[in-house]
Amino acid sequence: MDQYKKNKQKSIICWVIAFALAIFYMLVSFMPFIFMVLNSFKEKFEMLTKGVFNLPDSLNFSNYTEVLTGGFGKYFMNSVIVLTISLILLLFISACASYPLARFKFKLAGPIYAGIVACMSIPVHITLIPVFKMSRATGLYDSIWALIGPYIAFAVPISVFILTSFMKGIPREIEESAEIDGCGKIQMFFSIILPLAKPGLATLAIYNGVNMWNEFSFAYTLTQSSENRTLPLAIWEFQGQYSMNTPMIMAVLTLTLLPMIVMFIIFQDKLVKGMTAGAVKG
Amino acid sequence: MNGTEISLEKLRQRDTRRVAALFLAPVAILMAVYIIYPIVDTFITSTYQWNGISAAKKFIGVNNWKTLIADSSFWIAFRNNFVIMVLSICIQIPIGLALATFLDFGGKRLTVFKVIWFIPLLMSSVAIGFLFTYALATNGGLVSTISGWFGGGNVDLLGNPKTALLTVIAVICWQFTPFYMVYFMAAFTNIPYDVFEAARIDGATRGQYFWKIAFPLLVPSMKSAAILSMVGSLKYFDLIYVMTGGGPGTSTELMATYMYKQSFSTFNMGYGSAVAGGMFILISMVSLITMKILNGKEEA
Amino acid sequence: MKKRFARIMALSMAAVMTASLAACGGGGGDSSGDGDGGSGSDSDGKKEITYWNIGVESPDKDVITKAVEKFNSETESGYTVTSVPTQNDTYKEKLVVAMSSGECPDMYSCWSGGPMYEYIDSGFGQPIDDLFNASDIKDKLMGSAVGQASYNGHIYAVPYQNVSMSGIFYNKEMFEKFKLKEPETLADLEAICDTLKKNDITPFALANSSKWTGSMYYMNLAARYGGLEPFQKAVAGEGKFTDECFIKAGEKIQEWVEAGYFPDGVNSLSEDDGQAKQLMYQETAGMLLCGSWYTGTFATDSAEFYEKIGWFPFPAIEECDVDPSIMIGTVGDQFIVFNCEGEKLKAAFECAEAHLSDEVIDFEVENGKIPPIVGIEDKLTDSVTKEVVEAANNASEIQLWYDQYLPPAVATAHLDGLQEVFGLTKTPQEAQEAMQKAMDDYLANKAE
Repeated sequence: MDQYKKNKQKSIICWVIAFALAIFYMLVSFMPFIFMVLNSFKEKFEMLTKGVFNLPDSLNFSNYTEVLTGGFGKYFMNSVIVLTISLILLLFISACASYPLARFKFKLAGPIYAGIVACMSIPVHITLIPVFKMSRATGLYDSIWALIGPYIAFAVPISVFILTSFMKGIPREIEESAEIDGCGKIQMFFSIILPLAKPGLATLAIYNGVNMWNEFSFAYTLTQSSENRTLPLAIWEFQGQYSMNTPMIMAVLTLTLLPMIVMFIIFQDKLVKGMTAGAVKG
Repeated sequence: MNGTEISLEKLRQRDTRRVAALFLAPVAILMAVYIIYPIVDTFITSTYQWNGISAAKKFIGVNNWKTLIADSSFWIAFRNNFVIMVLSICIQIPIGLALATFLDFGGKRLTVFKVIWFIPLLMSSVAIGFLFTYALATNGGLVSTISGWFGGGNVDLLGNPKTALLTVIAVICWQFTPFYMVYFMAAFTNIPYDVFEAARIDGATRGQYFWKIAFPLLVPSMKSAAILSMVGSLKYFDLIYVMTGGGPGTSTELMATYMYKQSFSTFNMGYGSAVAGGMFILISMVSLITMKILNGKEEA
Repeated sequence: MKKRFARIMALSMAAVMTASLAACGGGGGDSSGDGDGGSGSDSDGKKEITYWNIGVESPDKDVITKAVEKFNSETESGYTVTSVPTQNDTYKEKLVVAMSSGECPDMYSCWSGGPMYEYIDSGFGQPIDDLFNASDIKDKLMGSAVGQASYNGHIYAVPYQNVSMSGIFYNKEMFEKFKLKEPETLADLEAICDTLKKNDITPFALANSSKWTGSMYYMNLAARYGGLEPFQKAVAGEGKFTDECFIKAGEKIQEWVEAGYFPDGVNSLSEDDGQAKQLMYQETAGMLLCGSWYTGTFATDSAEFYEKIGWFPFPAIEECDVDPSIMIGTVGDQFIVFNCEGEKLKAAFECAEAHLSDEVIDFEVENGKIPPIVGIEDKLTDSVTKEVVEAANNASEIQLWYDQYLPPAVATAHLDGLQEVFGLTKTPQEAQEAMQKAMDDYLANKAE
């Protein structure tokens, strides 16, 4: 009984410390976001004279109405289309590739895996010219479809790397029992491995989703007309040669970020423990 | 009897190979088109003296590579990347793991923390660059203000070649730690719930559970996280380009920003390609060797 | 449940296959010009001209739209111009990528100087002497603007946007308060700085993380110490960047840094994020040396504040026998270069002329710009811009910004070194030697 009490006390102290640190880290994470939002309500001159870290004079939504009445809707739709297609294809083909690398024994598995790790090390800017040439040659240039190929391709190495290591962690017994039941390799992938890999896939969806949503370099090299721009280029309308309208840009960036928060809230649910156990039963 | 067994084994092997090929095909095609072709192209370009736009290229063999090996700017950039790499691994992974552990213990009640902690990764580099430039301003910035409370003077972090790199690294860590948090959260889900339950029934405290049971199970994930962090740091570009542009002087110059300047700003595409090729070789080597060391025999 | 899942997967699999096949087919080389209104250097029958520029934000965007619309509605050439704006920071890269693939646009707007010469040398600019001499813009444009549009004795470009001279903006109220007047000599200027400093005001608002901002001070000092000859000689390979005037300019800058004429942490302040003008707006700094496009910046940020602003050119240095009318700046800022021939070139040139038509010029003036047109001062109503044009008209010579004029590799060496001079981590001598080395390398490469 005494031991129990002591443990309980210790545990309470631990939780208090942990919570204090957690709240501190929450402030550190949250502050820049808050200031981004606050500045999006300011007037340009107000921000410069009174400082970036002051409260806005009034909650003025005119920046938002101006952004929303511009090309924002179109850019938003373009981004959503590119993101959805790229992400679904990416997750599927990465899962396919990770399955044999993680679960099969064959001679080439090691070298292929090493090759994929090497592919992670490619500096993206050097691919701009070849990819530009390809999209010109295929006639995809200046359309949002040109973005899908590179978005998937440059996310594949890291995705396969993460998924392979994730799938390796799935206990082998599950597979063995299924094999005895006469389950083929392909069926095994769809009915057992893929459902068990959901947390890994969710991580990738979140990470790659954010990257694709904010991707910039390919977006401006592969498109040129304003109806084919994606969201990260939306700030251009407020970025001149010599000065930029920062509060307006903050409004654009806030609007760009909100859908990602929603996406995270949806996907993070897959990251909660207990899923594994449920999946095995089902 | 014996004969059928062998052929069965062979059949299974052939089946394995066939399935593996089928599953790997889409990735192989994508890699070939979007990554291997550009890399080969880069190595070819690196043998020319070329401004990047003219139709006339001059073949100069390995001259660019000789210059690269003797180029102190490149090696300074590599050293800077190396510093980012070491500090990223030492800062991002432990904090990420701590955050994930906290969330794993707390369960669904802590979703608010999870969402807010994740926000840095969502913010665009433009916003981060802007806000931190102001927060770190020597005069009236947050750091200087805090230093003022304790009687200190103004602090110039980004303008001082000695502190600029460390300061940017702090911002980079701030941005990427949430990725490792999510990554470890996924890794936690791989630990079956009954392992946790069994430990609880045996009377293990949460601390004991974490160090004795969860931690060893997470080691493989930590190794992968280290590789990820390594590759990411060695080819890092974004925030440096936005916040310091490599300055003051060359104190925050990275391989990627150096390559970018050579290729796109100073019309030195041939040499820029050599830098890119050098980067590619260095990063692959460092990561593959580390992987081999970390995984020991298991991988071989 | 499982069946549906499998079906979705099968469908996605099919999609991947098609996508990768399409990508592969593309890699195989496609020779037909698809002419989808892309950068279209193809000489197909379509009468389209692609025009790249950096007009993404108003008013620059509106100026270009106005000019292009005017051309499209009035031309008899049968061509239509499509404008493709890209943001300034990424524009140069986009041009390099396109040119590298041989897909240079038919006409494009760029800065004069090193990069423009590089484009022309690589075959992406056509001389327009004949068209120019037959056109009425020949008499309209300022001579110095035409000079900056020329290379190797030919005219290659049409300047259209802005006359931007570097000079010093100052807060008139503040000068009145401390009984200061516009300086005639460098000694006067330093006296002003000392007075401001004594009153806890930073003399110069400078944000030097962008590097080219500090170069403004340096170029003016060097030009006042030694004129333009040392610079021109060094560029031609006949002189050195270690000439006395360059060293003196660097030493003066370090003297000013030590005297506290610049804000704390000057190398970490960002011009792009507005940290220099912020000091002016908060009235914690008294002066700002920059290009005269700043008139537009001040006016759009706050018309009220702009009332307080005065301007003077960089003062002379008493003991130096140098023409103090020399100005550093750009006469045109944006230059339209042409990458097409024959009828198409004629049409593209016509579109460039539209940028200098009276209605477009009036519109530019309304928006605080100074188009590089003879007699533009009569159209200006604003006193500061008038002074700027006067200084430009009276200048015996106008030197383009070093960082635009020099070969890009040398410009980078200059900017990197100078930033360290500001940071007191390099001596002027060291910085200039690095710059000279870059110049030597460039000349050696070129000679090969």
